[in-house]
Amino acid sequence: MKPVLVEKPIEIARDHYLLRITGLPEPSAGQFVNIKIGKGTDPLLRRPFSVFNYSEGTTEIVIKIAGKGTSLLKVSEPGEIDAIGPLGMGFSVLKTGSALLAGGGVGNAPLYYLAKKLKESGTGVKFVYGARSSEYIYLLEEFKKVSDDLTVTTDDGSSGKKGLAAEEALAAGGADIIYTCGPAGMMRAISDGSSAPVEASMENYFGCGIGICSGCTIRTVGGLKRACVDGPVMEGKKIIWEELCR
Amino acid sequence: MDISVKIGKLTLKNPVTVASGTAGYGEELSAYIDISRLGAVFTKGLSIKPREGNRGNRIIETPSGVLNSIGLENVGLDEFLKFKLPFLLKSGATVIPNIAGHSEEENEELCDVLSHTAGIDAVELNVSCPNVKQGGMAFGTDITIFTRLLEKARKKTGGCLIVKLSPNVTDITEFAAAAELCGADAVSAVNTFLGMKIDIKTRRPHFENKVAGLSGPAIKPLAVRAVYQIYEKVNIPVIGIGGISGTEDALEFIMAGASAVSIGTMNMVDPKISVDIIDGIREYMDSKKIGGLAEIKGIAHIRSGE
Repeated sequence: MKPVLVEKPIEIARDHYLLRITGLPEPSAGQFVNIKIGKGTDPLLRRPFSVFNYSEGTTEIVIKIAGKGTSLLKVSEPGEIDAIGPLGMGFSVLKTGSALLAGGGVGNAPLYYLAKKLKESGTGVKFVYGARSSEYIYLLEEFKKVSDDLTVTTDDGSSGKKGLAAEEALAAGGADIIYTCGPAGMMRAISDGSSAPVEASMENYFGCGIGICSGCTIRTVGGLKRACVDGPVMEGKKIIWEELCR
Repeated sequence: MDISVKIGKLTLKNPVTVASGTAGYGEELSAYIDISRLGAVFTKGLSIKPREGNRGNRIIETPSGVLNSIGLENVGLDEFLKFKLPFLLKSGATVIPNIAGHSEEENEELCDVLSHTAGIDAVELNVSCPNVKQGGMAFGTDITIFTRLLEKARKKTGGCLIVKLSPNVTDITEFAAAAELCGADAVSAVNTFLGMKIDIKTRRPHFENKVAGLSGPAIKPLAVRAVYQIYEKVNIPVIGIGGISGTEDALEFIMAGASAVSIGTMNMVDPKISVDIIDGIREYMDSKKIGGLAEIKGIAHIRSGE
């Protein structure tokens, strides 16, 4: 069965769109799909997008408009879509206790599906939803449904608490594990400051997405790891963040 | 229909190979294709000791192309022989290791060990990587250094020796001719073109090594030109590489004079593309009633009326 985009991408917040695709196998939380945009050679490389949700055969992703590729993708017409996936290593889903989920911007998306899976296993979910400002917040009601407790932070205070999601997450503390996805600076602050284990979903530039080019390599205490096949989810405390945050 | 290809004493089952650096050690691609179907798998450039590669940004898309600065990250000779090669051979693949040593001595040793390893009938000497400071491209851009390396490598290489040429020279045919004189069995043309990206936000080069290698469809006409010119100058087979993204591109290289082709960057976009091109070449030959590749190899050089 070939992947099909079931409807035009739906605008869910400023610069953010929801795409619904059928024909892809069921993912685990934190995996991604790799999409070729258009049939030509420009844009050339596939673009990786974390899975936001999967339900009854439909895979949902959230894209953030970042450049030429995503600008073309957001105006896609329904029909066949060249998507490979799900790919990569996702989050470990804690089966008991409590988890803290901290997302930044488009990085909140994979944490939604994770929260849903955590809830299904009976794990407590505290969610810190970080965004630049209120206009960039998407599908918040859906996130609330899969969280026992959800706090919004914005950089400018236009919604929720003014401040950084990383600070809010660290202040909350008490969880058995922290899952995070967002800008490198945010994930670094959480990895450095947390006493609990941290799983971070990397958002660096991918070449192939299937492990052949070594373009997305992350330096860790265990040596170089390819974000696309060894990740995108990695142990936050093992990542050498200085390399990513220069 | 016979689409096998002779490279020195080596016979490839078909002319479609995957290029070094875009196929890893075959493991990842084998999730998408049967790698035993390929003419050959050119594995990631090897050094004796494992190499970490370059720091910082390593890859970025350009219009119809890719700039990379991986820096020959590889597992090193021991791990290659112990784990990577057995996997490839078990999969039934024809393996051609790419050798990318820092020094003449390192290249000699790699040629010696690899060409005398069971299951390896050919090696490809990489004299053209633009992304490592020592050695690398210097071997491929200075004709004196190039010739000296090849003379030594030839003596140490038991089987077929293929030389991967750098396009970052004024006249690539000089290097191809020197390779032939030194006893190389074939040349691969071409490696990546030197390119650069400036980040206008930081106002600095995007890559730590400043320059990077450009590949992908953007370089295809440049590579076709190189293959065409080399074919006129030498008698050894040419393996054409540069932005091949479909059967028509592969045919273009063959008509320019390539005996075989390598798929590089496009493996990253479509991991199944190489086997699709094998099928495509067969279909083309079938539809044009062509019995063997020799009928079209270099055909672009024949003037009408000849």
